[in-house]
Amino acid sequence: MRVLEPRKILEEGVLEVRGDGKAGGGLVLAFQSLAALFSSLPDSHVQEWPFFSSARRGANIRSFLRVSAKPIDVGCEVTRPVVTLLMDEAAAQATDFADGVPHGGTFVINTRRTPEECAKHFHLSGRVMTVPGDDIGTKHLKHAIGNVSAYVAMVEAIGGLPVQTVVDVFLGQLKKRRIPDVLIERNREALLATKDAIRSGIFDEARPGDHQSTAFAGYGELPLGAQTRLRLAQTNKTSTYARSGFRLVFEDPNLACTGCSHCITNCPEGIIRWQPDEARGVLVTGADVSQFCKLCGECIEICPEKLFKEGKYEESWDDAPAEEVTK
Amino acid sequence: MSTSTLGPVSRVATPSGERYDGIIDLAKVRAAHVPFYTTREALTADGNTAAAIATLQMWRAIIYPGFPITPSTKWIETVAAKVGAQKGTAKRVKLLEAEHAVADYMVGSAGACRDLIVSTATSSVGLDHMTETTRSLGASGFGNVMIVNVYRATANFPLCIEGDPSDALAHRDDGFIQICARGKQQIYDTVIQAPCLGMHPDVMTPTMPGYYGIKDSHRNAKLWIESDADVNAFQDRWIKPCVLPGTINGDTAMGNCVTSRWFQGFKIAQKRRIENVLELLPQIGADFERTFGRPGLAFFDEVGFRGDESVDVAVVSMGPDFGTFESVREAWAAKNGKSVAGIAIRLLNPFPREAVRKRLAKAKVVLVVNQAHHSGRGHLTLDIADALSGVDNPPRIVSAFAGMGGADVSEATWEAMLDEGRDALTAAPKQPYMVFHEGARL
Repeated sequence: MRVLEPRKILEEGVLEVRGDGKAGGGLVLAFQSLAALFSSLPDSHVQEWPFFSSARRGANIRSFLRVSAKPIDVGCEVTRPVVTLLMDEAAAQATDFADGVPHGGTFVINTRRTPEECAKHFHLSGRVMTVPGDDIGTKHLKHAIGNVSAYVAMVEAIGGLPVQTVVDVFLGQLKKRRIPDVLIERNREALLATKDAIRSGIFDEARPGDHQSTAFAGYGELPLGAQTRLRLAQTNKTSTYARSGFRLVFEDPNLACTGCSHCITNCPEGIIRWQPDEARGVLVTGADVSQFCKLCGECIEICPEKLFKEGKYEESWDDAPAEEVTK
Repeated sequence: MSTSTLGPVSRVATPSGERYDGIIDLAKVRAAHVPFYTTREALTADGNTAAAIATLQMWRAIIYPGFPITPSTKWIETVAAKVGAQKGTAKRVKLLEAEHAVADYMVGSAGACRDLIVSTATSSVGLDHMTETTRSLGASGFGNVMIVNVYRATANFPLCIEGDPSDALAHRDDGFIQICARGKQQIYDTVIQAPCLGMHPDVMTPTMPGYYGIKDSHRNAKLWIESDADVNAFQDRWIKPCVLPGTINGDTAMGNCVTSRWFQGFKIAQKRRIENVLELLPQIGADFERTFGRPGLAFFDEVGFRGDESVDVAVVSMGPDFGTFESVREAWAAKNGKSVAGIAIRLLNPFPREAVRKRLAKAKVVLVVNQAHHSGRGHLTLDIADALSGVDNPPRIVSAFAGMGGADVSEATWEAMLDEGRDALTAAPKQPYMVFHEGARL
């Protein structure tokens, strides 16, 4: 397998880069910073933009970047990126972040896992780079946000840029957003701490047919009212909109549920579990968070006994559906 | 004659009522402008930022009413942030409760002084909400009004926040001069030139520079910003004191009613004014190019034409997806042994019929790519058919739709559309219009 060198591709033509993440996870800032970084170089041309829907925080989003020494005419989405980023492992549940990446491409993943584990799990062939961005964010920014480290890892993947410029450009983006100086300094620490945390390896784990886009097969039947049907479709797993790393937890060891039913009537997805109860009318027993709970927090807010809360959750590569949360 | 602390005030009788010169002391407004850029600078910016900076640099623009709507929101956010951060500025941002209120506010602001520019940005149903007032503004002679239209499908069923020019195309009869820009630089440059066009005494018509939502509003690229001094020197060459009064005693007060005996007369005058754009726009564009060294306003961008030579397939489209066509054009032409050229329409209203006719008359096939929902063959298709009517041996027109709702128009999609154009060289198009997506004809 021939590994494609992003820097060489950039010198010869247009370097195409793509990233997948979740709204609110910092993907857009990371890509805007990359664009600003390459734009700051003499005679370079960039094109960077996000793709997102009207869905709120937690929804899958994409970012695109093109860099070239010549003016860039092409304006369509990047479908065959040489470098791709997975900012949030949970985003990979709803999309193939490696879709269209040629053999020998570079895959950057924000994760604690090793490049080898990622290559095997996602069936990747090429250079795989991992960085524990959320951990670095937690340590330096007091917030599990991995975009600082993802940005550094992406720059490392492309190569050939001086560290000081890399740091200055990112901090410049933050200054444009009027981020307080104390936070800018913490970001500087996170930027400098990242380089040593990046792990890299070359693997050939893709099987024939992996990451090849399927041809568009038309829109099918879209009768009047289909918008609502799409919104409510059983295949539209709204749980992918939930904040990464958290799940709804229900705990009622002392049977404190009063049977008020507010959680049942307020849940927009109808996932609260209950059973008839002679004394209370209904007894809430849990919630099915496997497919539709997007952690909107309605039940957490409304329950007078505070029986619902957000619990930390480690993204699992186990394909088995998440269990019903009941305690 | 009376005086005020703002300077001498005089009452001048005009056919449209009395003008009160000097109530707003323009010299003081000009002197109060605090430059945002004192030298030429390169930035990395998205389309909304490019448009916002251009409006901020104008000394004549001091009031910015707005109401946020995706994908134009960052325009008002940028204006507000930069005005808020600038000490001693005379500029003010007014966040209103709805788009209709914004449009009404613009009437008052623009009418108070026709020599100052009042600007906002909106999209999609935001523009729809303004319609009652934009139709009046369009007829009012308020060339000092500029609405930046960030294109987005004008439908809430289904709701889609991406770029689709159906809003701009649905509002072509509002009476605004509508200019489509693509790419950051063209957006910035267009916003600077638009008031020169609108405020010209022969035109006096509000302007609506526009660009595609998300595809351009949110796309970052390198942008050259001229100094405020150079921007204003350019505008000062074109913008002269307005000859009409404001709303005071004028015939432009909103709600004035005329009978049918007069209505048509006013509409004929409105039409004549906006058609003067066809003569003036190239002059302003040429002056801009001489001044800043970049192409200025034009009826359309073009690629691949060689003088008046015939071309096999001529593409007509608009917006940033035209760039993807440019990137595949030569390879497709070489592979198919056909000559291919194209134009990206920039002036949407008034439509530059004569210039389009001249450019396309010698094409064998014209492939028109529409990106907005239309009940018929497409807005652009009808315009092109109109422009080519009466031409000897007129080109065969192939009408395509792609990119509706801001859908991606990939290289494969352009190739599939060009294939249909090639086939039309020897046979009539398969359908009155065809829809394409991801390389397939649907």
